Amino acid sequence: MTRRDLLAASLALTGCARDRRPHLNVLNWSAYIAPDTVPKFEAAFGFRVRYSVYESNEEMFARVASGNSGWDIVFPSASFIPPMLAEDLLAPLDHRLLPNLANLDPAFERPVHDPQLHWSVPYMTGAAGIVYNRSLTPAPTAWANLWDEPLRGRITMLDDPTDVFGACLKRLGKSVNSEDPADLRAAARLAIAQKPLLRAYINAEVRDQLVSGDVLAAQMWATTSQQAIDESDRIAFVYPREGYPFYLDTTVILRESSRAELAHRFLDFLLRPDIAAANALASRTTTTDLAARKLLPAAFRDNPTLYPPPAIAALGELEIALRPETLRLRDRLWTEIKSA
Amino acid sequence: MPSNSDASSRLRRLFLAPSWLVLVSLMVAPLAIVLAYSLLTRSPYGSIGKPWSLDNYSRLADPLYLAIFLRSVWIAAAATLLCLLLGFPLALFISRSGERKNLYLTLVILPFWTSFLIRTYSWMFLLRDTGLINSILLRLGLIHQPLPLLYNYGAVLLGLVYGYLPFAVLPLYATLERLDPSLLEASADLGARPWQTLLRVTLPLAAPGFLAASVLIFIPCLGAYLTPDLLGGGKTVLIGNLINNQFTTARDWPFGSAASLVLMAIVLILLLLGLHRRGEALL
Repeated sequence: MTRRDLLAASLALTGCARDRRPHLNVLNWSAYIAPDTVPKFEAAFGFRVRYSVYESNEEMFARVASGNSGWDIVFPSASFIPPMLAEDLLAPLDHRLLPNLANLDPAFERPVHDPQLHWSVPYMTGAAGIVYNRSLTPAPTAWANLWDEPLRGRITMLDDPTDVFGACLKRLGKSVNSEDPADLRAAARLAIAQKPLLRAYINAEVRDQLVSGDVLAAQMWATTSQQAIDESDRIAFVYPREGYPFYLDTTVILRESSRAELAHRFLDFLLRPDIAAANALASRTTTTDLAARKLLPAAFRDNPTLYPPPAIAALGELEIALRPETLRLRDRLWTEIKSA
Repeated sequence: MPSNSDASSRLRRLFLAPSWLVLVSLMVAPLAIVLAYSLLTRSPYGSIGKPWSLDNYSRLADPLYLAIFLRSVWIAAAATLLCLLLGFPLALFISRSGERKNLYLTLVILPFWTSFLIRTYSWMFLLRDTGLINSILLRLGLIHQPLPLLYNYGAVLLGLVYGYLPFAVLPLYATLERLDPSLLEASADLGARPWQTLLRVTLPLAAPGFLAASVLIFIPCLGAYLTPDLLGGGKTVLIGNLINNQFTTARDWPFGSAASLVLMAIVLILLLLGLHRRGEALL
């Protein structure tokens, strides 16, 4: 081995080697894809993929907002499609390059935020419900149970205004996307009334406390709850009967992309039943790809947390983008709740 | 010799150039950007643009935000006071422990080898209902219900005091270390009891250390957001959380920038007041 080889090898090890083949740049949520999906795509199409992750829509938006971020594909939630369109960040989709769109669940073929799927392809969906320790009897069935006095100090809510307002609005019998200031104020009053009973506003980290029984009931995303259920048989999940908000994450191509055709191939690849099934299974999420569902192991597909039966799925309401004035009011009310 | 002093001042400027470069590029320029953002307007969908306005500052005059500012000052002041109260005896002890000084100082700094985030998480494991402290107390039969140790202001305060205690010990140790022992001997020779010497000689002479420690602790505590979030369970909003929220969930960078600058202004004013009162030339 010559010195140059050694240098090249060490550069390759540290990731500094420049691969001159064209790259496709994909920015996705963390843990939202099967580990072998990208290698399979690279093998099938002969392109390299530069892959990185983010933790929130806001983070993704901040990273691509400049319009020359270097990314081709990102995975915004439905509520972020209108803001991204307003900033002229999205490229229109060419359905001729997306034959696998036919695999999509009919329930997601015409989503309200993008009825023609002109800008976005549904990827995964999910909702927040109530995860609880089985020692809790009677088991919770409604958001109202998270206001039960005997549970004082043993309840948590998500640390996220969308989810807390969603639960409160549903409890009031309103739409989760209500733009009526009176509805939002009523929801905030409900949240403030609940606060003395709450142990904390906390996200996925609540899992340990739920398993140990410190927390008996928590507002939690179905995916996170399923991970807890997989690890402990003391945990169960329920979709509240008043209804619940659900999110829809999508795949989009950024306008700045200079590899639109290749990007379409990646989007179509994600819709391939075997690939979509592997992604759903690996990330413990709910795929919007109907053909993929048939390939999932029965135990996973029939799991009522990730794939609720139609009667329960009908209680869900898609979170869409709110008007800026509504968001500003909601943020002010959220600060009020948090400092009450 | 004018030529000589010219040369020395040129040399001086040359050697100061890198510091200026760092200061301007990493401190002045970012601050100018924050100032510009705070005077701009958030577009309907979260990007930043014209018109220029003071709207972001007038929004802060809301009693809701004023209460948050006051609460933050209060918590930061309490944390500073507790750090000083706990740090002084420790610093005094270390400064008088002869050969073991270095060992003790290393122990004070040791926690910095681990990330603050991980140490804060460890506190959560200690404080929670089934955590170490409650388990031991329950096992000993001292309590029958777990104490609510986590997710309240007490836990936030504990987290801040724990995190910033070394910043009290180190400056206090530095002043106590330099304290001339003959002054203490003189005090004893003149008939002062040890506690009188402590109150009337040691404490006044350690004043610069107290001042430095207060500044070092109060400022970061005022802007803390991790500790209130993790140990306060998101149920307490301090300025740091308010600002953090504007840059993340609310995506209102102009408002967040205005809040940051007001926070900086408060710190500067308090600092100047404190220094002015003491007539110290610390800055």
